[in-house]
Amino acid sequence: MPDCDSMRENMPLLLTESLDPARRELTHQHIETCPICVAEWSAYKETWQILDTLPELDVPARVKQRFLAEVSPAAVTPNVVPFRRRVAPRWLAQAAAVVIIAGGAFYGGHRMTPQVQLAPTPAQVTAIQQAMPAAATYSIAESRVLPAASISPQIEGRPDIQNVQFTDASPSNNQIGVSFDITSHVTVTGRPTDKSMVRLLRYVLENEDKQSPSRSRAIDWVRSTYSHVGNPDPEITEALANVLRNEDNQGVRIKAADTLQSMQSTMTDSTRDALVEALKNDPNPAVRIKAVEALAKLARSGGSLDPDMVDTLRKKASQGDENVYVRVKAAEALSSIQPK
Amino acid sequence: MRVTLKTTVRTVIVVAVLLSSTQLFGTSFATSSRVVREFPVDPAGSVWIDNPFGSIDVIGTDSNVISVTADRTLTAPDTVTLKEASDGVALSFEGDTKVRLIRTLLPPMRNVRWAVLVNYVVHVPRGVNVKIGGSKAADHIHVSNVNGSVTINGFSGTVIMEGVVGASVVNMVNGRIIYDCTQKPAARAQVQAVNADIDMWLPANSNFEWVANTINGDMLSTFNVKARSFNGSVFHGIVGSGGPTINTESMMGHVAVLVRGTNLSDAQSYRVNEPGHPGGPDVLRQPAKKIQMPFVNGEFVFAASVADVTVGEVRGNARIETGAGEVELGAVFGQCNVTSLGGPLNLGDIMGSLFAHTGAGDIIVRAARLGGQVTTDGGLVRVIYAGGPMTLRSGGGDIIVRQFSAFMDAETSSGDVTLTADPAQKSIKVTARTLQGNIVMNVSPRFAADIDATILTSDPDMNEMHIDFNGISVRREQVGNKTRIRATGKINGGGERVELYAEDGDIHISAQNVTPLRLANPK
Repeated sequence: MPDCDSMRENMPLLLTESLDPARRELTHQHIETCPICVAEWSAYKETWQILDTLPELDVPARVKQRFLAEVSPAAVTPNVVPFRRRVAPRWLAQAAAVVIIAGGAFYGGHRMTPQVQLAPTPAQVTAIQQAMPAAATYSIAESRVLPAASISPQIEGRPDIQNVQFTDASPSNNQIGVSFDITSHVTVTGRPTDKSMVRLLRYVLENEDKQSPSRSRAIDWVRSTYSHVGNPDPEITEALANVLRNEDNQGVRIKAADTLQSMQSTMTDSTRDALVEALKNDPNPAVRIKAVEALAKLARSGGSLDPDMVDTLRKKASQGDENVYVRVKAAEALSSIQPK
Repeated sequence: MRVTLKTTVRTVIVVAVLLSSTQLFGTSFATSSRVVREFPVDPAGSVWIDNPFGSIDVIGTDSNVISVTADRTLTAPDTVTLKEASDGVALSFEGDTKVRLIRTLLPPMRNVRWAVLVNYVVHVPRGVNVKIGGSKAADHIHVSNVNGSVTINGFSGTVIMEGVVGASVVNMVNGRIIYDCTQKPAARAQVQAVNADIDMWLPANSNFEWVANTINGDMLSTFNVKARSFNGSVFHGIVGSGGPTINTESMMGHVAVLVRGTNLSDAQSYRVNEPGHPGGPDVLRQPAKKIQMPFVNGEFVFAASVADVTVGEVRGNARIETGAGEVELGAVFGQCNVTSLGGPLNLGDIMGSLFAHTGAGDIIVRAARLGGQVTTDGGLVRVIYAGGPMTLRSGGGDIIVRQFSAFMDAETSSGDVTLTADPAQKSIKVTARTLQGNIVMNVSPRFAADIDATILTSDPDMNEMHIDFNGISVRREQVGNKTRIRATGKINGGGERVELYAEDGDIHISAQNVTPLRLANPK
């Protein structure tokens, strides 16, 4: 990776939340796509956590004197020696990072904390839990409780905060709470195969506001993205199957069935059942066409078709009042089946 | 020690080579066994045979016992699997003198690595009723010299009914069905298949009513069939003086009733062109065809029951009618008229007026230069370029128009409508409706129109009107248990009327600079 070095330089600043948003985003994206830097970043965070647990001790005067004595001659040496990069032990790099981070964090925090003014101006609260040692993953949740220490003191933009409530559950413990609804724009990046990305897309497909055109767009996008992925996660196909079962908008159901057709490799029993159900009962002939085409493709590829599916195809092929094209496709599917 | 190691290595290599060679040549283990049983049965009793894999021969005799010979063959890639197969497959003989049940029993979750084939030869008293079911794969099912009723239900294989006198019902998916009747038909025969050809040979002096139906195949006979008529795609005719009904129906194969001693090649087709039929034959009675041509120099007229049509270029008018299939036309220099009872239509550059309809399936039109009408009873409609006035209808599915330059009338019963106006046009009349979905209309910021947009929704918080123009007034009113949101007004000083209506969806009129499409001129 050509930019690994510069990204690693960003890591201490990322840990202390001292990067500007653009570089922060860039660094996160790089870390997520670079296996080497992922390891490096984990080591940083681990060290940061360890640091948090260490007791603070004064350096003994004797050690301090010896350290200064060692350092002083090098500082005054007249010779300029060419710099050669050495492969330092990892622990040494981590220790050095800890020192830089601790110093930087203390200095930055000491200067900036008194300037924060939350109440009078609308402000954006940016939860940057990625950088915090206590919460390594960003949780997309309907509601959650965050300790004040995990919130960045920097509030960016003008976020819309509504329904603000103030709580002081126990006046004696010196803890207060501020609750609010906030709409924030979140960009999640990652590989299509990342479990978090799969789960997020599944959520969008299954739970997105039904009337919103974004569900239709989501299916289009999932199709174009996962048709290039060798083995798309079965959760994606199951989410599409649920859309096929539950969606009221027929245009969306057509798209869901069509997309399932292109994802044969990860068909689950549940997905196949959804296609069979659609072939049996969907009032829209286009959905039935997509379903029977998907089953025909499955049959041609030697996929397993259980007796219920074969029976449904057989009935469809013989059903006089069914659309002729659906009947023909059902017959074609049956002709491809090799009983096992 | 060194010798031992060397020997071990050699042994391993030899074993590996042997193993790989057995794999390469597909060597497998097999075992065969024969079971012979005999049971008494009433002369008018029943015999049920249920055998998923393997052939069945049922032969009527003058004896009063059932004699069963079952040859069981098991194959597996190794001895362990073979043992598993041997333990899992059982032959079952049940019932009493009224009903005898002969079955091959397989474990419900069978290991697909082993295979079983059980071939039955069953001699039965001539008068018994025979019922054969559960057959998934058989080389053949042969029933001969049986006077009782015969019922066969199978998936694939050749069914041969020879000298069967009683009523018969045969239902197959794939394979072939052959009747060879030595006597005049005296009982009803119901023969159905999905992909199988049906051939029946009957004595020349037979009297019967023939009902035939096929979508993809033909209806053939060497008999003189009288009183012929069609009801849709179903043919009715009488042979001789009429009698029991012989019903032959195959979705994709041919159906034929032939005089014994004649061949299929001598048979006459009763499918096409019945004389005196007003308006020509129904499209489902046309023979099935498959057309793939780079171009047609002139007019292209085509009709078929089941057809996949692919033509690169039609240098004239195109008129296509199909019962089912996919139609793909690259370019049509003249008028284009495509009607399909079902199947997707993929139409390219249509230079004349366009009429396209399918009973089910998507319709994609790359360019309708003079506009026209595109309708599907269910499916997506996508038009890349509409140069003339267009009417688009979907019984359920999205409608998407990438660029329209003239009057646009789009309606779907369920689905989203997305229309993009030609940025070069200052104002275009538009009507768009969806009874369940959203409407998105993209226009240039200079687009002028009289807007009348209505949303009828049961959830007014969820459905919204977004209009990127000033001068629009929005009113909300309660209509029964629904809310009507209506936006009216003039944009950019007013112009052609734009009427949008969405139920349970959003309406979005978006002002954006769109790059206009440019069509290449025909060569």
